[in-house]
Amino acid sequence: MMGQTVSGVVTSSDDGEPLIGVTVKVKGTQTAAVTDIDGRYTIAANNGTHLLFSYVGYTEREMVVRGATLDVTLQPDANGLDEVVVVGYGQAKRITLTGAVSAINGKELQKVPVSSVQNTLAGKLPGFFSQQRSGQPGKDASDFFIRGVSSLNGDGNKPLIIVDDVEYTYEQLSQININEIESISILKDASTTAIYGIKGANGVLVVKTRRGEDGHPRINVRVESGLQMPVRTPNFLGSYQTAQLVNEAYANDGMQPMFTDADLEHFRTGDDPYGHPDVNWYDEIFKSTAQQSNANVDVSGGTDRLKYFVSVGYFMQNGLVKDFGSANTDVNSNYLYRRFNYRSNIDFQVTNNLTMRLDVTSRFMNINEPYNLNATGQIYSWEEMHPYSAPVINPDGSWAYLYDTSGRRPTLNARLANSGYRRTRRNDNNLLYSANWKMDFITKGLSSNIRVAYSTIDENWRSVWRSEFPTYHFNSDGQGGGYYNINPDHVYTNGSYAVTAGTNTARKDLNLQAFLNYARVFNEDHDVSGMLLFNRESTTNENFGQKVPEKFMGMTLKLGYKYKNKYLVDFNAAYNGSDRFSAGHRYGLFPAIGAGWVISEEEWFRNLFEKSVDHLKIRSSFGIVGSDVAMGDRYLYNQIYEVGDTYYFGDRAMNWQGYREGALGNDNVTWEKARKFDIGIDLNLWNSVSITFDYFYDHRYDQLVYRGDIPQLIGIGTSPVNVAKTMNRGFDGQVGYRKSWGDWSFNTNFVFSYAQNRILFQQEAMQRFPWLTKTGRPINQPFGYTWDGFYTPEEIAAIAAGTEGAPAVPVSETPVQAGDLKYKDLNEDGVIDDYDKQAIGKPNLPNTTLGWTIGGSWKGFTLSVLFQGSFNYSFSVVGTGIEPFKSQFQPLHLQRWTQERYENGEEINFPRLTSNPTTVNAAEAYMSDFWLVDAWYIRLKTIDLSYDLPRKVLPKFLDSARLYMNAYNLFTWTSYDKYQQDPEISTNTAGDAYMNQRVLNFGVALGF
Amino acid sequence: MKSIKNTILLLGVLFAFTTACTDDYESVPVDQYTIEYVFSETDSAGVQAVRFLNNIYSSLPNGYNRVGSDFLDAATDDAVSLYMDADPDVSRLQSGRYTASNQVSSDMNWGTWYAAIRKCNIFINNIDRVPFNTPYTNSREYVDEKGNSVTGESRPIGSSYKAEARFLRAFFYFQLLERYGGVPLVGDRVFDINDNLELPRNTFEECVNYIISELDDIQDSLRSLPMRDATAFAHAPTKQACIAFKARVLLYAASPLFNGNTLEPGNPYVGYTDYDASRWTKAAEAAKDFIDRYDGSSSMMNRNKFRLADDYYKIFQNYFSTDTREVIFFRNNGSGTSVERANGPLGFTGNKLGNGRTNPTQNLVDAFVMKDGKPRGESKYTYDPQHPYDNRDARLEYTVLHQGSQWLNTLLDTYQGGTNNPSGSGRYNRTSYYLGKFMNDFKMANEYGSHTELWVYFRYAEILLNFAEAANESDARDAYMNDIMKYLGILRKRAGIEAGSDGLYGLDPTMSREALREVIHNERRCELAFEEHRFFDIRRWREAETIFQQPLQGMQVVKGTTQTAYTPIDILTVNWTDKMYLYPIPYTEVNKNSNMVQNPNWNE
Repeated sequence: MMGQTVSGVVTSSDDGEPLIGVTVKVKGTQTAAVTDIDGRYTIAANNGTHLLFSYVGYTEREMVVRGATLDVTLQPDANGLDEVVVVGYGQAKRITLTGAVSAINGKELQKVPVSSVQNTLAGKLPGFFSQQRSGQPGKDASDFFIRGVSSLNGDGNKPLIIVDDVEYTYEQLSQININEIESISILKDASTTAIYGIKGANGVLVVKTRRGEDGHPRINVRVESGLQMPVRTPNFLGSYQTAQLVNEAYANDGMQPMFTDADLEHFRTGDDPYGHPDVNWYDEIFKSTAQQSNANVDVSGGTDRLKYFVSVGYFMQNGLVKDFGSANTDVNSNYLYRRFNYRSNIDFQVTNNLTMRLDVTSRFMNINEPYNLNATGQIYSWEEMHPYSAPVINPDGSWAYLYDTSGRRPTLNARLANSGYRRTRRNDNNLLYSANWKMDFITKGLSSNIRVAYSTIDENWRSVWRSEFPTYHFNSDGQGGGYYNINPDHVYTNGSYAVTAGTNTARKDLNLQAFLNYARVFNEDHDVSGMLLFNRESTTNENFGQKVPEKFMGMTLKLGYKYKNKYLVDFNAAYNGSDRFSAGHRYGLFPAIGAGWVISEEEWFRNLFEKSVDHLKIRSSFGIVGSDVAMGDRYLYNQIYEVGDTYYFGDRAMNWQGYREGALGNDNVTWEKARKFDIGIDLNLWNSVSITFDYFYDHRYDQLVYRGDIPQLIGIGTSPVNVAKTMNRGFDGQVGYRKSWGDWSFNTNFVFSYAQNRILFQQEAMQRFPWLTKTGRPINQPFGYTWDGFYTPEEIAAIAAGTEGAPAVPVSETPVQAGDLKYKDLNEDGVIDDYDKQAIGKPNLPNTTLGWTIGGSWKGFTLSVLFQGSFNYSFSVVGTGIEPFKSQFQPLHLQRWTQERYENGEEINFPRLTSNPTTVNAAEAYMSDFWLVDAWYIRLKTIDLSYDLPRKVLPKFLDSARLYMNAYNLFTWTSYDKYQQDPEISTNTAGDAYMNQRVLNFGVALGF
Repeated sequence: MKSIKNTILLLGVLFAFTTACTDDYESVPVDQYTIEYVFSETDSAGVQAVRFLNNIYSSLPNGYNRVGSDFLDAATDDAVSLYMDADPDVSRLQSGRYTASNQVSSDMNWGTWYAAIRKCNIFINNIDRVPFNTPYTNSREYVDEKGNSVTGESRPIGSSYKAEARFLRAFFYFQLLERYGGVPLVGDRVFDINDNLELPRNTFEECVNYIISELDDIQDSLRSLPMRDATAFAHAPTKQACIAFKARVLLYAASPLFNGNTLEPGNPYVGYTDYDASRWTKAAEAAKDFIDRYDGSSSMMNRNKFRLADDYYKIFQNYFSTDTREVIFFRNNGSGTSVERANGPLGFTGNKLGNGRTNPTQNLVDAFVMKDGKPRGESKYTYDPQHPYDNRDARLEYTVLHQGSQWLNTLLDTYQGGTNNPSGSGRYNRTSYYLGKFMNDFKMANEYGSHTELWVYFRYAEILLNFAEAANESDARDAYMNDIMKYLGILRKRAGIEAGSDGLYGLDPTMSREALREVIHNERRCELAFEEHRFFDIRRWREAETIFQQPLQGMQVVKGTTQTAYTPIDILTVNWTDKMYLYPIPYTEVNKNSNMVQNPNWNE
């Protein structure tokens, strides 16, 4: 035998990083080797022999030796049987878990080029529902919910967010650097959330940050840069069409036309650009793309004694507003977001029994916005501007003002150039110190842990603004000449900039946790674990004058028993309380029990399905969790007196302060509770397919609502009472498939979530007609009129004549005319009024959400594509978003009702135009299903394509190099084209949200 | 052994952890005001309690552009809103476009009045706890007609505060009464969430009796004129205000809508179930009582007396100057130009800006008599349709700004498209008239300037009119006739109407009751225009059904080169239905309270 040696590097297909400790074995022999900290191995093997590479959590791979070097990439194991997931105050092996938990690896999140963590989760976790309401830099974090919503209290549906066992706020979550995240889990059922007791009812999102591992220092550098562009840009009609529609509406209202034929001709030909401007304000104000970039450097490594992970990151996102800076200004009024993150996680082994840990995190950020204006909202608003209000800039270069509007404000570009900005600066600091003491000397398996976490948030704002700068109206004579009129405000020179500042948030939070842990396996069969935690938290919010800390205190108990990893029982309980409630109602006990049966561990089952089923587990849990979020005053049990309206005293008009009674207290106020039941199954097949399915039923009770049955005779507002009940049920899960063939690998994962809620009881006053009742319907069910076509001229004549059987008309407001929206008269009393409103459409939050990931790799190339869709929800756009004379005219308005179009039988999609804001056509006053869109959307949410350069082309100092490009929100398919809006907007909005963004991003990641 | 020690140590640490947490912990929020703080047993000046009272005062309605930015009177035949095309609240009130479930929230505020009543009850129930130790004298010393010096009574100041709260409570009930008829009386009770709140309505009669008995009970506890410290307390209801209030309540109670011609005979909630003519006499007596005690028309010397202000412009701006003794109870709205800004003529900018909100109708303009106190046709002055504003009752000039009025140093052009009725806003003033009342005299001014804006609830002119109206209806009409003529004469004299050779200011004591009723109603309309009287007057007289048979008119003005042509045009026809005489009780209130009876014909 020739003594040939083979050597090479084993890397992971996921991230191209070397794998340490991979066992390399020559097939059929005892010869074996293990990779070192660089993933390098050396083994004696001849050409033609087979090498087996095996590693925990990865699929075993067999390679044929064909030379002296052999680099190998290993695929993560599809089954994830060894997968460890983060749960509350600890970790658990997925195969022995009894609760409902979905988890995702931090590496997956980095493939989405956005700043906020929650935006990376859509479509990836079963049970996770989200809607991204805005695309504004720094304020684009999605609203998200775990298994939908079940509280009538709007704020009472937010999941608890836990980062390294410390509670975070929504805002803090959105500012975490994604690069620092090791993994994210969402805890969905009672057995996993009961340990959070009074705060766990809405599910928990648990983030674990990265920590150092044994090995020499590894430096990772990741730099990426991309372009953002709106997913959808609005399209408004130009001056000519707008002027025609204005005249038409005025004629409909019996008023004189606003524009003469000569005016219209100027608009049509555009021959008088200053006297008769035609400005597309959206295009003038916004660019088509804006830049964003992201850079991260992290260093990690460690020895037996000390392990470290240190990361710095910088994220920069620009806004879409063009630069209008003039000579007198160098203020930046564009939207922008800047964030700097720092994290240092240190583990220190003091003695064999004592480990200490110190985590230091800081986040600094800046958000910039134009001073006191919402650029999108301004453009939408008819009151603010029209396409013919002013030229973008006067012929002599001076700023114009919106001549024909009531406010006569300077043009939007002039204001953006001159008015200044508002900058929000935020500084978060977190310190976490903990000491873990193994107390095997008392009994084996016992340890204790004390943890102190201190966090501060300081958010300040500063505005640099000026209100005065000269603007002129150019009176064109139509021949190219003309003269200038100064704005009636008579400002002849630029005002100076003023600076104002203030504090938004000054929050300090101190959290103390003391643990006793116990974990031991007896006789190899009996796995016993336990944990007792004392937890105390106090939060001070120093703004709003609220300086008395909010207190939270409690104990948590976790007990687990596993027999041969086959029969699993978990008991979890929390006893905790919050000072929002009166002394006798402060503490509550929240117990939950979970049980699991790993059928695949049974002898008989293994005999039957050895070849096909790798893992089969049935699990179920039941328990009670709470929520202490309550609407209204912080101390609902207390009746307070407050400063009220003042009155002028005496005959000299001296203004004196007044006191008044606050809302009546409710002594018995207490937290909301949820009984949660979950049953689930985990199934892994053929070493390639994994299936998880959960059914859940939540009964939410003792919800705080304002009683609807108290007469106004009482003369005072009342505090909410714990009476309402809702239920929420549904299912979620995933089906995954993962397989590799040689250099090829393929994976796909389909995630589905469905949650449907219903109000069971809410102390609603008896309604006169059954369709008015809210009880029995979903939370936030919209109510409104039912659209029944447009009034025809014949119907109007019948109404005027008082004919029997003529359609009903609204009780108030101006008389209806042909072409107005006609609504169903549900109670058949001949008038349209509040009694004719019924449930229309669906709540705004989707009750179904799907995600489908398809990915694969070949040699160094990796591709991953995510489609995400949301279904079964409704939204409407009102006011400046769509209504004529509140909004700009939009293409939809061309499909309005007119006598002519009606007679010609043309398609009519919009009512008669009117300048009167009080007709039945007003969406805000007469909300109806005409305005409502039954929506769904499917998005090509992310695409990520990367290429890992082969190690042989890399210089020696470089361990790995990866080039990648990814995209976010690349394509959208949706059910409607009525409004020019993103499908994720919140309902009843005025269409003024900053456009959601599509991102195209390129980057490089280097490992040293 | 070592392990036991360690265990103890560990438990000790944990225990310390647990207990160390309570020493900085208050079991109740100590930083919040409680009722004990507001009505403090140690606050000898009652500083906090008075603040609670101040807040009750702030519930008093401020009539300036109160109803959805319009005057309540723009919901009568006297005016329309400039924004009538946008269906403002007054237009809905005017035309009855409301139902029990779809209310006009700016005036149908059932709950607001009960909230105010609750505040009064809290105050009344708790004020005695406050140990006021400063005595106070309820009025300044003055010299009466006989030359005697009169001193006020001395008592703890708390007793006056309590009486003020009871006055305000009665006032709030009256707001409910004139809108809804009989309503639930809650007495001094302050309800808790667990109380039985399904209270039935009290009858109209019970409500009137309750208000009257309250007023009788408190009148001597209130401050009295002349006020010792008007600078600080002029806003407070006085004994005089209390008596004036009583006269108004009795006048309303005697009126046809509640007495004799109710919406539903036998329904005790919408009025008396019987007709009793003596109610008019009682109302006349109450007004006469006020006049007898406090009429100061003949002498200037007694500072506890009232007389009509010589200068019409000063009434709503100056409570207590030497020549003004007309205002009895008012709300001070501070100093400013908000009335001018809201209602002044269009077409001005800057500090002259007016938004022309209130547009008086031709119907109101026509109501003003000619300069000699006689209506057109009967007057010695001929009414010239080309100069319709010449030789008229001078109050017209004060109340209404019209084409050609002198204002802000210009002559107004109020025709459609004229300088003061521009089309720029897309809205024309359809009547060509603007409100002039309540404003300062800005005829010759270059711009508006701040002035005190008093909203007046009771003034002496109303008492005179209350008397005249009740006395004319009374069985003792003949006996009262001289006084009727006298007091109407005083009013007309101040208005600038010529006395005439008979000194009767165009009046005639031989008029029939019906003819004189018309004169008095008309006088009331002109004198008290826009003071939130007309809306209730045409209801309690049960005249709305007749009045609204006529369309509301504006004036079309065509300005030629040499002369201006005036043509009245119809601008609005109100379809009156009789259920509109009373407001519907909110649907939700009827729904939540099984004992609540809806007003007639609103229950559908």
